[in-house]
Amino acid sequence: MHFKETDLPGIGRKYWLHTRSGEHLVIVIHNDERRDLFHMESGDSPEELGDMVSLVTLDDDEARAVAAIVGGMTYKPTFQDEREVMLEGLLIEWLRIEPHSESIGRTIGELNIRQATGAVILAVVEKNRTKQFNPGPDYIFTAGATVVVAGERDQIKLLKQLLSNGRL
Amino acid sequence: MDMLIFEVGIAVALITLTGLISAKLRFSVIPFYILIGMAVGPHAPQIGIVDLRFIESSEFIEFMGRLGILFLLFYLGLEFSVSRLMKSGKAILTGGMFYVGLNFASGLLLGWFMELPLKETLVVCGIMTSSSTAIVAKVLVDLKRTANPETEIIMGMIMFDDLFIAIHISILTGLVLSGATSFLSVLLVSLSALLFIVLFLIIGRKCIKYIDKALNIKSSELFLLTVMTLLFLVAGFSETLHVAEAIGALMMGLVLGESRHASRIEHQIMPFKDFFGAIFFFSFGLTIEPSTLGGAVGMTVIAVILTIASNYGAGMIAGRLSGMSPRASLNVGFTLVSRGEFSIIMANIGKAGGLMASIQSFAVLYVLILAVLGPILTKESPWIYSQYARLRKRMRGKETG
Repeated sequence: MHFKETDLPGIGRKYWLHTRSGEHLVIVIHNDERRDLFHMESGDSPEELGDMVSLVTLDDDEARAVAAIVGGMTYKPTFQDEREVMLEGLLIEWLRIEPHSESIGRTIGELNIRQATGAVILAVVEKNRTKQFNPGPDYIFTAGATVVVAGERDQIKLLKQLLSNGRL
Repeated sequence: MDMLIFEVGIAVALITLTGLISAKLRFSVIPFYILIGMAVGPHAPQIGIVDLRFIESSEFIEFMGRLGILFLLFYLGLEFSVSRLMKSGKAILTGGMFYVGLNFASGLLLGWFMELPLKETLVVCGIMTSSSTAIVAKVLVDLKRTANPETEIIMGMIMFDDLFIAIHISILTGLVLSGATSFLSVLLVSLSALLFIVLFLIIGRKCIKYIDKALNIKSSELFLLTVMTLLFLVAGFSETLHVAEAIGALMMGLVLGESRHASRIEHQIMPFKDFFGAIFFFSFGLTIEPSTLGGAVGMTVIAVILTIASNYGAGMIAGRLSGMSPRASLNVGFTLVSRGEFSIIMANIGKAGGLMASIQSFAVLYVLILAVLGPILTKESPWIYSQYARLRKRMRGKETG
């Protein structure tokens, strides 16, 4: 894989990739942070650039979001908001135990999570970043912890309710 | 009654309005800023409290325009570093040389044809040799051509052209502004100006470590103040050595362009460049009396034709040198046709040196025509090429058939 990098003084910087699948991708990062993604045709020979097929212009935010998706980074939770991953009906979500949540100080067994909701808790990451995989029934919820849960959409909805209200 | 701020406000409003209209019409804004400046001024009417003559404020608008040149060239320097030019490759350097050579020669030709004196001829050469970086960069982005392989060549050649013009201006200021009369004293002033530039760039390069350290400032306010201090002191000091302040600003930009903080500086300077730059074009228009332009029409038309022809030639040569298709080569030549800020700076030097007034009128018409025609030629260059290719095919068909 080989990116050809060139300066475009007065405009920005250009990156050109001839992909293994035989297509040309040209990325121009403008000085004003705008990104242009060009899909180019091949010219007279496969290595040469031809005409433009399409162009997508992204601003700074969008470019970062796209980069994260393309790079596979959005699957990592950021511990600030919930992210969800869907696998044919099975949902994996990161839920945060809010400071006012009624489940704080209570255990998994006490709330009877598995029986009441059908969802399971796969792992918990505490506020201080210590991790606990497959926590047992005597695990006590703490404020600011992030809970990784798996289940169907409805089950997870119930679980959210249970965690925040302490009951269904 | 002090109406200064209100008058400046009206000027800015006019500039903004024309800018919005020309953006809507998808034209380059620069010629429109000049046109609106020409439309108002001492000959314009006064409507109520809206004084379009800009009598009270003209001095201040002129000063803001002067700052505009400084910011435009400082920014240019940040973007166009000498090391980038060196890296850009031999094809671009040779192509750039052909470009500068052909355009300069067409200036000499025009001067000879119009029987202009030496100083005027050299100013005309400068006006005709300087492509507008601002217009070209904008047109390339607008036409979505930044991904094309010829874009590097175009911007590289412009960089070469700008640096050549910087040297030309410094020699010219020695000749035109210093008031030196004998050949020897002119030579001395020009050489010392050149020496100052070269020394400044070399020392600046050597000192960049220390400048980097000095610019390690967290507060954006103090950072900006430091950069401004460097810019204004160097630009102002250059003037005392008969190096135009604009070139001083460019030099400071070239030095800071090598700094680790270059992109932060660019970011902070950009709003100043945009604001004062627009006022610069407006204030240039303000100094023009439209009725005086008629006399320069003939000369301008010849100059425009010469420029297009020499750009076509230079584009073809530069394109061939770097293995471009004829179509891309035509793009190179036609994209570089736009003229703008540097030509005007050149004309201003002529004015400051008390050269023939017709040079000023020539510069206005020339820039106005090419600032409009340049982007159009750039846009239509693929169409022109296809017409040309068809014509050639037909000719060939006749020959063989």
